[in-house]
Amino acid sequence: MKNTLRIERAILNITQADLAEKVSVSRQTINAIESQKYVPSTVLALKIALVFQKKVDDIFSLEEND
Amino acid sequence: MTPRFLLPNQFKLIGWLIAIPAFVLMLFVLHGDFAFEFLNFSRGNTDSLQVLFDSPTLFSIRTNNFTDELGGILLILGLLIIAFSKEKDEDERITVLRLESLLWAVLINSILLILAIVFLYNGLFLQVMCYNICTTLILFVIRFNWKLYADRRTAKTSGL
Repeated sequence: MKNTLRIERAILNITQADLAEKVSVSRQTINAIESQKYVPSTVLALKIALVFQKKVDDIFSLEEND
Repeated sequence: MTPRFLLPNQFKLIGWLIAIPAFVLMLFVLHGDFAFEFLNFSRGNTDSLQVLFDSPTLFSIRTNNFTDELGGILLILGLLIIAFSKEKDEDERITVLRLESLLWAVLINSILLILAIVFLYNGLFLQVMCYNICTTLILFVIRFNWKLYADRRTAKTSGL
């Protein structure tokens, strides 16, 4: 699963730690999502979308092998 | 997705404080025949032939030293508390890591057990079975903490 977290963060100009705090997970989790090592739960994906004021599938999208 | 059945983070330290002394105690019990005198127990006829064929259950044994029972229980309890205490930054990814580590530990432990069954016999096999009482939990604790450590390190080096 691909995501545009890094870009969205750059637009809002917030750090991984800021985002982590807003959605109450650890910074490592945000880092793992950005580097595509971890696929967030639906709940977390919705929370992240809420922070960026976008729809979940504007931020997360499927890849060929998903 | 909040994990259930987990203890608060502070319990982790308590777990270590129970598990490490218990582990050392069990090493001495297993390899040095160590026993606390005050945990000696005997009743009825305890001549050597009777004791050799002593009853196999708690409520009918004639003589026993309970050091190994005490150590074994403390070791398992301590390891359980370590394994199932929350991390300071517990979140859904750590829950996934915990489950993956548990799966890994069971798998590796089973493989080691099969190897022991094939290659080890008699007294040595029995000794390995003694260790096997707690190896699943030990493997789990090692693998889970290693993963957490590696994770924190990559997060640190990969900038903002």
